[in-house]
Amino acid sequence: MSDHPDSWPRFARGMTDPSLAHEKPEALGDLRVLDCSSGNLAALFCSSILAEFGAEVIRCEPPAGDVARLFSPEGLRHRDTGLAYLVEARNKRHITLNLGRPEGRKLLARLARHVDLLIESFRPGQMDAWGIGYRQLRRLNPRLIYLAFSTYGQFGPRAASAIPNYDLTDQSLSGVVYCTGEPEGQGPPDSAVPTKQGNWIASYAGGGWGAFAVMAALAWRWSSGRGQFIDCSPAEAEMRFTDYDVHWYHSHRRVRERIGALNTCVFPYTLVKTRDSYSFIAGFSDINWTGLTNIIGRADLRERYPTTRDRLQNSKMLHGELEAWAAGLTSQEILDRVQDYMLEKRGPGTVVTAPLNRPADTLAESHWWERGVFQKVEDPDYGELLLQAPPWKMSRTPPRIKWACRPVGADNEIVYLRYLGLGKERLRALESRGVL
Amino acid sequence: MRSASAKTGRRQGRGSRPRPSARAENAGYFRWTGELFDTRRIFDKPEALAGIRVLELTTLVLGPTTADFLGEFGAEVIKVELPPGGDTMRYVSPEATFWKNAALGFFPENHGKYHVGIDLHAGEGKELFKRLAARSDIVVENFRAGTLDRWEIGYRQLKEVNPRLIYVADSGFGQWGPFSLGRVSYDAVAQAVSGMIGITGFPGRPPILCGIFIGDWFGGIMAATAALVALHHRNKTGEGQFIDYAQSEGLIRSLDWTWVRHGLTGKDRGPVGNKDEAQVPAEIFPCRDGFAAIAAPRDEEFHGLCRAMGARELGRDPRFKDLASRQLPANREALLLLIRNWAAKRTRADIEGLAAKHGFAASRVATAEDRYLDDHLRARGTVWAYEDPLYGPMVEHGPAPKLSETPGRLRWAAKPVGWHNEEILTRLLGLPPSRMSELEAKKVVGKWADRPGAKPPEGWSAGGNGR
Repeated sequence: MSDHPDSWPRFARGMTDPSLAHEKPEALGDLRVLDCSSGNLAALFCSSILAEFGAEVIRCEPPAGDVARLFSPEGLRHRDTGLAYLVEARNKRHITLNLGRPEGRKLLARLARHVDLLIESFRPGQMDAWGIGYRQLRRLNPRLIYLAFSTYGQFGPRAASAIPNYDLTDQSLSGVVYCTGEPEGQGPPDSAVPTKQGNWIASYAGGGWGAFAVMAALAWRWSSGRGQFIDCSPAEAEMRFTDYDVHWYHSHRRVRERIGALNTCVFPYTLVKTRDSYSFIAGFSDINWTGLTNIIGRADLRERYPTTRDRLQNSKMLHGELEAWAAGLTSQEILDRVQDYMLEKRGPGTVVTAPLNRPADTLAESHWWERGVFQKVEDPDYGELLLQAPPWKMSRTPPRIKWACRPVGADNEIVYLRYLGLGKERLRALESRGVL
Repeated sequence: MRSASAKTGRRQGRGSRPRPSARAENAGYFRWTGELFDTRRIFDKPEALAGIRVLELTTLVLGPTTADFLGEFGAEVIKVELPPGGDTMRYVSPEATFWKNAALGFFPENHGKYHVGIDLHAGEGKELFKRLAARSDIVVENFRAGTLDRWEIGYRQLKEVNPRLIYVADSGFGQWGPFSLGRVSYDAVAQAVSGMIGITGFPGRPPILCGIFIGDWFGGIMAATAALVALHHRNKTGEGQFIDYAQSEGLIRSLDWTWVRHGLTGKDRGPVGNKDEAQVPAEIFPCRDGFAAIAAPRDEEFHGLCRAMGARELGRDPRFKDLASRQLPANREALLLLIRNWAAKRTRADIEGLAAKHGFAASRVATAEDRYLDDHLRARGTVWAYEDPLYGPMVEHGPAPKLSETPGRLRWAAKPVGWHNEEILTRLLGLPPSRMSELEAKKVVGKWADRPGAKPPEGWSAGGNGR
């Protein structure tokens, strides 16, 4: 059916195959961004999104390079650059500018006349004290959108906090850490603790919200002609994702606690040990529970536990029953059985499963490669790099990767000449004075 | 427990303030931002997405959040559900306990929407949906790939009635490709197949799920962003377009250096517990009254932490002299052990206060109670209190980023199935009461089932103040 020329997958792929991206226009080709952020992955992800959609992003680093270039596991460096930065420098031009010097701040103010968006992540009030905050720059460029990232934001009782912004503290403040992990008494005490996500999820949430806010501000600028100030805390960005937590406290004075691989609202929506690995498995509404008990051949369980509340109250025992079934099957066999039930319509209900992947497992699956989720980018400065591509498939203005990264200051000549008319001699003089 | 936490919350506030001189210097700035972003003035300001209409046909969390975020910034969102049961999320509530006949799980992704019940299996229902799509700017759906195409209300059909339409198809595995065929996805599927669970938790322990529906929520903000990017393109060209967003692919995007390291070294990433391998030192430590995260990767922050620990000499130790040295696993472990022993003897508030004083990052592992009672988050509208006509006083998380000229806002809470049928079908499509009754009799248009999750609170009255 999917091979039929009129089939939906054929049609959808024809519209959105990312291998054709470079033949199509870019949505944000008219947008220029100055990213002066410092050691901040939320800001870097934000400007990556805009750069993937075609904005001209100018990364502005101190002369020695942004400290974010050093964030890397095990001290690994690839051509002097840490691995995290190689992922979030895509499509960006790289210039240097020393904002610690009055001359550097003057140059920044001049550049700010030429851009639509400025991104920064200094301690709140720092740019303003330097005379290059939104208060000052908006006079030079009323259309400027100014996006500042910080832990506690630009206003409110704790806004003046000196605390710098990192993913780990953001994750902890967001509330997600508190309700993630194995409960006390389950396994050794060192691991039965509130647990962070392995990746920098708060930074990515912050960057995503930042990009969203910029696009909303652009939509308003389209009609009003005016820029504005956006205050984005990555901690609050992830906090917005915490389901009903605050509402539950409001309505019942209850705090959601961590429960490992179970869920507070429904069962089963959980991970089970299989013969060769682990699998996620779900069939939590009554009709879907019927489907799942059909697949595992345990009609007795749905007779004894027909409602969500019954299943939740007995979730540990039922989890054991599911694991007893799963122990005899590989994760792939479980997927095959569930898909057979679903695709052949062998009974009611929607049952959902997935094998648990380590990253290497994901890389071994053809689906992602076919969809261009991973890309081996041939970068002129950094060689071949395996990168995760922009995740959206779009029919008219698909995002894309053009290059991966640039060395510190590699675009000084082109950027300063193009926007400020500064030639090589002037740049050399500025460099020798420590301004660039 | 409540009062103790409120007290430490206040201590936290005092501890994090800068020294007096810095405060005086910055007072003017914070006075200005306080006025610029004053949450009491939000409803006196315009909305960024005013005039944009979003039509959503979604269930659970991923699709609803995509539309919700657009709605928080001013778009009009019409949520179509199949009557009388509606969205599955109407039945997802902590401990399976309903509140005023509603599931708590349904509120956080359904603010300020217009709820319409239409049976899309019926021909006349499809026709109504198409007419709504013709009057909309953005359609959001999250059915299994190809489902709406089969129902003849997918992008292929809707673009014929509205060429300017931006169509967001949210899914688990995308609209095409081997895994897209008939495979259903939930948030945790995306967590599992992306590798996210595989790099989270403690080595040697069973895998855990993220406490929240992270693949859905993160997916929602990513998909909503793409819709606005498409809107920008449409402003310039008049062209609509189709967007295929897969939540698993969004989480893959968020796994920072996982893939690039694999490409360069062939090394697979696994879980390492609560430490950060790239920003060192950073870990969540047990302390006297709970858990606190500490992060001090920059040299100056690390030296600040050493001062706070009364161990300046650590800053001169060759093992810890710069970030590259601290990142080496043996050095990292030695350093984290020293900090762990130090933190164990302190309270969360002590650590937060020292961090503010010495310029490194620290924060408690916050609970819902901490956030609910936090004056700072209230002042910022991050914890947002409002009064809903049907449900009364509500407290939820408000819009995340703060926009000075077009701030986001929460207007009203989610409503029962079909609550706004008359409002939308009459205002937008001009259906007279006789036609409405006819469609209701044929069950093409419908309202809530008589069951918790779908129906209004007990004792509700139309136009009443709600309780």
